[in-house]
Amino acid sequence: MLKRILRRARPLASILAITMGAALIGGCPAPAETGTLQFHANGEGFIRQGFVSRDGWALTFDHVYITLGNIVAYQASPPYDAEKGGHVQAEVRINLPGTHIVDLAEGGEDALPILVGEAKDVPVGHYNAISWKVIKATEGPARGYSLVIIGKAEREGETISFTIRFEEERQYTGGEFIGEERKGILHEGGTADLEMTFHFDHLFGDGELPPEDELNVGAAGFEMFAALAEDGVVDIVVADLGTEDYRKLKGIFDHLAHVGEGHVYAESL
Amino acid sequence: MRWILFAVLLVFVLPLGLSATAFAHGVELEYRTGVIIEIFAAYDTGEPMSGAEIRVFAPDDPSTPWLTGACDENGRFSFMPDLSLPGMWSVQVRHMGHGGWIHIPVGDNMVRAGGTGYTPLQLGLMAGLGVWGFIGTALFFWKRRGA
Repeated sequence: MLKRILRRARPLASILAITMGAALIGGCPAPAETGTLQFHANGEGFIRQGFVSRDGWALTFDHVYITLGNIVAYQASPPYDAEKGGHVQAEVRINLPGTHIVDLAEGGEDALPILVGEAKDVPVGHYNAISWKVIKATEGPARGYSLVIIGKAEREGETISFTIRFEEERQYTGGEFIGEERKGILHEGGTADLEMTFHFDHLFGDGELPPEDELNVGAAGFEMFAALAEDGVVDIVVADLGTEDYRKLKGIFDHLAHVGEGHVYAESL
Repeated sequence: MRWILFAVLLVFVLPLGLSATAFAHGVELEYRTGVIIEIFAAYDTGEPMSGAEIRVFAPDDPSTPWLTGACDENGRFSFMPDLSLPGMWSVQVRHMGHGGWIHIPVGDNMVRAGGTGYTPLQLGLMAGLGVWGFIGTALFFWKRRGA
């Protein structure tokens, strides 16, 4: 009797074993394709090489400390539209942990953008959006400020050493990088990068552009800071400026960040 | 602060390259169909992005431009995508430190994939492409039968 039961059960057991084996094999997730995603910060040639402000001050920069946090890269679908703003829709998002105090003036005139950090073994794909916060530093030379700009300004034989401190905090969200190369496309075993770009010509203006250019019309220039110099030194916190100047600088802070040449959506924190 | 405005003004199919060659005893007609995508790029002030640099990326190689060019004085640029490369075509426009992207779904399959947040305009255009694809195919076989 037992032998008969076992004989009849043998095909069933075989089927069960095959099914379980197949389930085990099929159920194991295939090894995910991964690579390394790097995050850069870039003050561009304006910071590295200096430039002339809209009002004729030749500016050079010794240090430009900016504090970055909550950096997240996205494989956004649909592509993020910074003009519309809002949150990024993405199934894949990679967080770069930590707070990072970056000196955008670090390195020579032709130095590459600053490597803020990298995330290893992240899924391949197109990282076409990024968000980050600019927040107050809690340590180091920029402690208490989100952005500290240190440099020299020269015009018609007059030289001013300046330190301009911002307390403004923002969250910036941008879509795909706009520039010479297409960024964020990560292949198996490869490395892709994203960039947080900061346009300081939006703050000081650009002497190479006409005064009526929209960038110069919206920029603060340097004269408003030069007017505060004592013995050739300006050392200010922008929140201490007059209401109108401070309001203008707050607005400019919204537009300081970019993704290459692409605009980002700014939210006050 | 300048924002970039994009508009895909027209995506349509034309009987391109229609030619008629006359011989002593007959006529040979040929045609091919294609899609023309016309982009209009302007700043939010309405000022066209005259001379803006254009890079077109096909879906099969997002890293290498499939086509480069420049907007005309009215901020317009037209191109004919390769319909054998269906998917999301991306166009980057840059001018004087400003720029933007526009993403244009091309091909029949993208009609089904287009429900995830594409604009009504894009969906309409995708549907139009599908319809014209059928018409083009029908015309092709009609021509073969008549030959």
